[in-house]
Amino acid sequence: MSYARKSILFWLLLSPLLIMVLLPYAVMLSTALKPPTEVFTFPPRWLPETIDLSNFTVIWGKIDFGRALLNSLYVSVGATILTLLLAIPAAYAMARYTLPARGALRLFLLLTQMISPVVLIIGIFRMMSAQGLINDHRSLILAYSGFSVAFAVWMLQSYFETIPREIEEAAHIDGASWFASLRHIFLPLAMPAIGVTAIFTFIAAWTDFILAFTLLRTPDKLTATMKLFYLVSGTYHVDWNEVMAATLVTTVPIAVIFILLQKQIVGGLALGAVK
Amino acid sequence: MSRPHLLLPFAMLLPSFALVIWIMGYPVADLMRMSVHAVNRFGQAGNFVGALNFSKLFADPLFWASFRRTVIWTVCVTSGTIMISIPVALILSQDFAGRSLARLIVLLPWAVSATMTGIVWRWTLNGQFGMLNALLLKFGLTDQPIEFLATGQVAFPVAILIGILAAVPLTVIIFLGAFSSLPGDVFDAARIDGAGPLNTFRYMTLPLIRPFVNIAIVLNVIYAFNSFAIIWILTQGGPANSTDILVTYLYKVAFQYGKMAEASAMSLMMFAFLLVFCILYARFAMRERAL
Repeated sequence: MSYARKSILFWLLLSPLLIMVLLPYAVMLSTALKPPTEVFTFPPRWLPETIDLSNFTVIWGKIDFGRALLNSLYVSVGATILTLLLAIPAAYAMARYTLPARGALRLFLLLTQMISPVVLIIGIFRMMSAQGLINDHRSLILAYSGFSVAFAVWMLQSYFETIPREIEEAAHIDGASWFASLRHIFLPLAMPAIGVTAIFTFIAAWTDFILAFTLLRTPDKLTATMKLFYLVSGTYHVDWNEVMAATLVTTVPIAVIFILLQKQIVGGLALGAVK
Repeated sequence: MSRPHLLLPFAMLLPSFALVIWIMGYPVADLMRMSVHAVNRFGQAGNFVGALNFSKLFADPLFWASFRRTVIWTVCVTSGTIMISIPVALILSQDFAGRSLARLIVLLPWAVSATMTGIVWRWTLNGQFGMLNALLLKFGLTDQPIEFLATGQVAFPVAILIGILAAVPLTVIIFLGAFSSLPGDVFDAARIDGAGPLNTFRYMTLPLIRPFVNIAIVLNVIYAFNSFAIIWILTQGGPANSTDILVTYLYKVAFQYGKMAEASAMSLMMFAFLLVFCILYARFAMRERAL
């Protein structure tokens, strides 16, 4: 079979899946560009008659979506920083020291990274309310980190092990202190792995549903995900054109990150305990 | 290594492990305590009641209905995902024009949350104004708009399809890894010996990717079992609990019906089930890494 024929055949075979994957984006775009009057017409139409960009401006004032995005950014960045601060030293210790019970520690990491907050949600809610952290972004940061850190340690460790010790030892021999060699030799080499781990932690936090749903209460604290959920589930009338504009605004940055860093992310997913 | 030398590495490990143990250990201990006590609406534990909460739960027909639906949901999402992902990964691991674009499109939904997926599909499937109905009407596949989410009989299979779509990217990534690990020369030898593509797939590829299939099954069971957002956003388990799976029913029992003790009992059993699959996953993953 020629290359061209093969390519056409493969695209045809993939097309049902590709259509299903792209359909939601087409829907988002189509609806987000319509004026409200065109959204609720019967029969529904795909192409807007007039392109209306006001949906993208209305959402900042009317539903205070900017604050929701900032809340998402705050908890996601907070969780990412906390996770890295905890995971980097732990992964370094696992990779560089001969520890007793190392196998048990690794097993613990592998097991707990698969536990999802959903089945423990009642206990988590009660724990956070006992600490007075309901409707407090700190509870989300702690919980996201708690459920991400095992994976982060696991992934960083497997990468740290590929960085040869000899480089650090050479620095020691040349008179560098332990801290200096860590800072100037080890960390720069570990940066790619730290970056990928940060992206995973960030995306996990950014896309969370159940924890934000359970731990947040008031509209001013809601993350973007929660804001959108309450918009479509609470009221009887849903302004879908605005919701789709907001959905697009929330989704596109993550999609762009994914497109730009596809190789590293997919590599990380395949390598570090496929999560 | 002498003791003082171990102090530093353990000090480096401690914060991570402490956080994990706190965030998971406290809830598990709390759930255990509540599951064997009477708990009032405000969450205060009263008398020790033994297995009463469990037996109340087992007498609840909605629990069993959700249980049955969870089995269907998990089996369908897992098997559907794997049956789609293997051929897709097989195609994506071949060389053809525009492969990186195709790969990007297939993997993209991984980065988009289940919440966004759920919200967009909820609108796409809207019974009156939804875009899917627009398509179906236009191509004459239906003359009446279909109310996709109005009854459990339609909504649940639709949710399963969306669950599969959401799970495909990660599973494709696993199988892409599997296919790239296959030894090329062995396949060349088979081709020279006259093995057809079907036989090659059946007798060489499948046995060789078996460990990856195991991991994909276990991972998908874990994800499907835990997947709360898709069903909650599409139908909230309704109408009349007809699309509830255990995780959504658990949420209702705890936070809407206020039966904290029974919910704790249910939660613990689900945790135990999940733990079994996590152990399976750990075993498969460890074995894979040892290779």
